[in-house]
Amino acid sequence: MINLDRASLRYGPILGLSPTTFELPDGGGITGLLGPNGAGKSSLLQLLSGLLPPSGGEVRVFGEAPFRNPAVLSRLGLVPEGDRLPTGLRGDRWLRMMGELSGLSGERLQAAMARAMDTVGMVERSRQTFARMSKGMRQRMRLAQALLHEPELLILDEPFNGLDPEARLTLMALLRSLAEQGTRILVSSHILSEIAQLTDRILLLFRGRLLAEGTVTEIRQLLDRHPVELRLTGEAQVLARWAVEQPELAAMRIEDGAVVISVRSPRDILPRLQQAVAEGSLPIRALDPLDLNLDAVFQYLTKDHA
Amino acid sequence: MIAAPSPLATIRATALGYVPRILQGRGWVLAGLVVFPVGLSLIIFTLIRLKGGDASPAEAVKVFHEVLVKMMLPIMALVAAPAGIREDLEQRTLPLLLVRPAPAWALPLGKGLPWFAWGALWLVIGVLGLQLLGGDPGQLPGRIVAMVGAWWGELALMTLVGLLFKRGTLWGALYFFLWEPLVRILPPFLQRLTFTHYIESLAGSRAAEVQVSQLLAQEQVSTHPALAILALLAFGTLCWALAGWKLQSTPIGLAGSEAEG
Repeated sequence: MINLDRASLRYGPILGLSPTTFELPDGGGITGLLGPNGAGKSSLLQLLSGLLPPSGGEVRVFGEAPFRNPAVLSRLGLVPEGDRLPTGLRGDRWLRMMGELSGLSGERLQAAMARAMDTVGMVERSRQTFARMSKGMRQRMRLAQALLHEPELLILDEPFNGLDPEARLTLMALLRSLAEQGTRILVSSHILSEIAQLTDRILLLFRGRLLAEGTVTEIRQLLDRHPVELRLTGEAQVLARWAVEQPELAAMRIEDGAVVISVRSPRDILPRLQQAVAEGSLPIRALDPLDLNLDAVFQYLTKDHA
Repeated sequence: MIAAPSPLATIRATALGYVPRILQGRGWVLAGLVVFPVGLSLIIFTLIRLKGGDASPAEAVKVFHEVLVKMMLPIMALVAAPAGIREDLEQRTLPLLLVRPAPAWALPLGKGLPWFAWGALWLVIGVLGLQLLGGDPGQLPGRIVAMVGAWWGELALMTLVGLLFKRGTLWGALYFFLWEPLVRILPPFLQRLTFTHYIESLAGSRAAEVQVSQLLAQEQVSTHPALAILALLAFGTLCWALAGWKLQSTPIGLAGSEAEG
């Protein structure tokens, strides 16, 4: 469905995406595009959705170059990042126009509008202007326009930004349902947990480079190769004595009322830690992972890459 | 798979989709640009006549040439064009249109048509209003055609300039308010590069209005009315086509900026 062959994107002197190669197979499913802000996620999605042509290499979607290509654009839907919608227009009228621009007309258009608005839960409220809609409602309308023509490939750029937890869960459920019905979904985010809740297939981008590709488990295994810092707060002497007995220990330092240990394969050591605490042999008041955030993940992988 | 819409279907869908925009603030400003000077002229002339004064019908011609043609028409183009496709570029809503299978080149015209129709309606009303002041009824069709033709060309030009330059409104203002007024002193050939020339060829010459201070004016050239309207329509159509070509060929991303494609 998607083939990138050393595709790159430049914005003048700035490199938005380094030469990148990957493939996504046909068929439904969700693929997460993960990376911190500025990693090149939007650049990649703009290449795939045909907004921008590659500066180098080749991008193929459904076997063709997507830039200004109606044959490709009629099979994909895009929900761009941000909260931008045309001012002064009513939701349902705008949706009608987007449907017509997708090649729908007559009863088919009516049916597509009804289905899209029902899917996103906007049947009752779509007659309002965008200015009167809440952020969550506007996000639903943006999703509705992408679903109108029942695309085989749905691209969403940071769709969870600014949504409240309930709206986020609703959107996740909707995306899962669409994927089960055979839609291939590519969704970008800079939050690992968001992507992990949605899919087990991840593309990791950092500073315009594709660092890793695989399932959540594979990505986590990559992480396991690197020491993770944990702060154990409690009786430092006892904690330190326990820590030195652990085979995963890579480094340790004692701070005021706490021990900071650096361990490999944290998922092996954590069950033993849990057991020791349960048995009452380890006086822990708090356990804090210090570097399990996404930036640390990318730093590890970048070192690997180098 | 759904077939991509035809260019005509694209223009129709975009024009109808954006029709509500002309009935909002900017649309009424556009209407006011015609209604205000014409209405004011009507009130002043009526008051003069009520007081037994002499209000010459030639004054209506003066209001037409000096106010509507030279000031209001360019300002209308400067006000309306940024609400066309340029608005989507600036609000970053253009990607939502560009990821559709519809031909991108048809979008500027589709979005500009409601503004053209709305502006043309008020210009016709304005010209008809001025006719109430008097003047030769035989020149009325020429004035209407001149205003509508020039509006078509000026709106298209400003739409194109808005896609070509970041500060399109500034360049447009410079053209309308620096270049066009030079028409009186321009050599004959250069007069043909102004809207004023074609409007005067259609609506009647301003020659009768030339003042002593303008005695240094070059000889005024004239174009046959049929050729003049053809020139205005052709120029406008060319500008719409170039605006469409610019949009079709320019990569425009989510940030509203171009990548090095």
